[in-house]
Amino acid sequence: MSEMIKKNANDLDLNFRYEITEKVGAKSLLKCIQCGVCSSGCTVTEYVDLQPHRVVASCLLGLKEEVLSSNAIWTCSLCHRCTERCPKNVDYSFILALLRNMAAKEGKIPKEYSSTVKVIYENGFVVPYTEGMKKNIDRRRERMGLPEIVPPNLDDIRFIIDETGLGDLIIKKEDDK
Amino acid sequence: MTKKGNKFSLFLGCTIPLKMPQLEKAFRDVASILGVELKEMEGVSCCPEPVSLQSLNIDTWLTLGARNLAIAEKMGLDVLTICSGCYETLKTVSVLLGEDPEHLKKINEILKKINYEYTGKITVYHFVELFTQPEWLEKLKSLTIKPLDDLNLAVHYGCHLVRPSKIMRFDHPEKPEKIDLILQTLGAKTIDFATKLECCGYCARLQEEIGEKLVEDKMTELCELEEEVDALIAVCPACVTQYDRKEKIIARKTGKELDIPVLYLPEIMAIALGVDLEDLSLSTRSVKPNKLIEKLTT
Repeated sequence: MSEMIKKNANDLDLNFRYEITEKVGAKSLLKCIQCGVCSSGCTVTEYVDLQPHRVVASCLLGLKEEVLSSNAIWTCSLCHRCTERCPKNVDYSFILALLRNMAAKEGKIPKEYSSTVKVIYENGFVVPYTEGMKKNIDRRRERMGLPEIVPPNLDDIRFIIDETGLGDLIIKKEDDK
Repeated sequence: MTKKGNKFSLFLGCTIPLKMPQLEKAFRDVASILGVELKEMEGVSCCPEPVSLQSLNIDTWLTLGARNLAIAEKMGLDVLTICSGCYETLKTVSVLLGEDPEHLKKINEILKKINYEYTGKITVYHFVELFTQPEWLEKLKSLTIKPLDDLNLAVHYGCHLVRPSKIMRFDHPEKPEKIDLILQTLGAKTIDFATKLECCGYCARLQEEIGEKLVEDKMTELCELEEEVDALIAVCPACVTQYDRKEKIIARKTGKELDIPVLYLPEIMAIALGVDLEDLSLSTRSVKPNKLIEKLTT
């Protein structure tokens, strides 16, 4: 269980809930009745500092800083049982993805997540597929009689990652010049 | 059969073709025996992987996914996926953007700059969805050469295949039965067990112990069941890897005798359809399915 948070009313971010509900699909946040079904079925409930229903309550109260710094938003295993079971149709797993997006914008990104994006930026795939690695993979596939891989144009992939705003957060540009 | 018959664009993803091509081989063997025509998708990228990309920037996730679907649209074919992660990503792209034309427009503005457009004309399938349509089940039954009559199998659905059900629209989100149905059609017996719907924990990236606990719970239950379980059957490369690798590690750590082999559904289907065991590279698994093979060959 997390420690009790004491906060002045003036320090609450009362707009936080609306930052979340701006996105189609997250409006359901406002319907939460704090029944706790999400937390009781949560795969990682014993490992998080804030259980799902408490994350939702904290969002509604305006505890933005606490939510975005919690380990709860990154510990989730994405099993989607919370969303499936909520009697008020609160889409918790989607809301959690939004919260992660918000934390990422503030630069709070666990390396387990940023490293995946780097691999995709470099290879177009989530598995390294250049030089020696590529040769080994191609040889193995050929032996098994599998067709050749035709990889994507990396410029297209990088353009999308950059254009949607993820590039600046993840990819260090110093090598470019 | 689907409206476009038995011809699909095959979306392989990354993990299967690049790290576990033996799973791809098994799937292609099954598809070929059943008469599913597969067209290669050239120039597709990672689906992209639903955990990191969705977590860091939902728009990056959807736009890369829409680019992949745009390639299938150009081919004029529905998409067939063979990995639950790819299925979740591509199906979410097609459902979310199908319901939100404004968002689709915004994404196409980016795609048009690199000469792609996604209009939402095609459907995304997982092969389990395809093979459980009545015509294909019948075909499976009639083409079974080596019925799995003596096998007692445990099914692991994994999370991303069935949930969130408002997007996946695949099977019952908490009591799915499609994979069981395929295995039963091939003659096997599938069992009910308490942890059947539990997550494999592969996507809980920050704490290794979460995955280990989940794998230990499921494998321990399966090993303690009265009737011996011959294999755990999964449809996602992440789940297969997670159970196969962690089972060994946990057995070493705890001294428990955990030795249930983990197979990818098309592998066991291929066996039933008469593919030679030698062609399936089952020995590359950490937990060797020796007992299972013995049972199948005697």
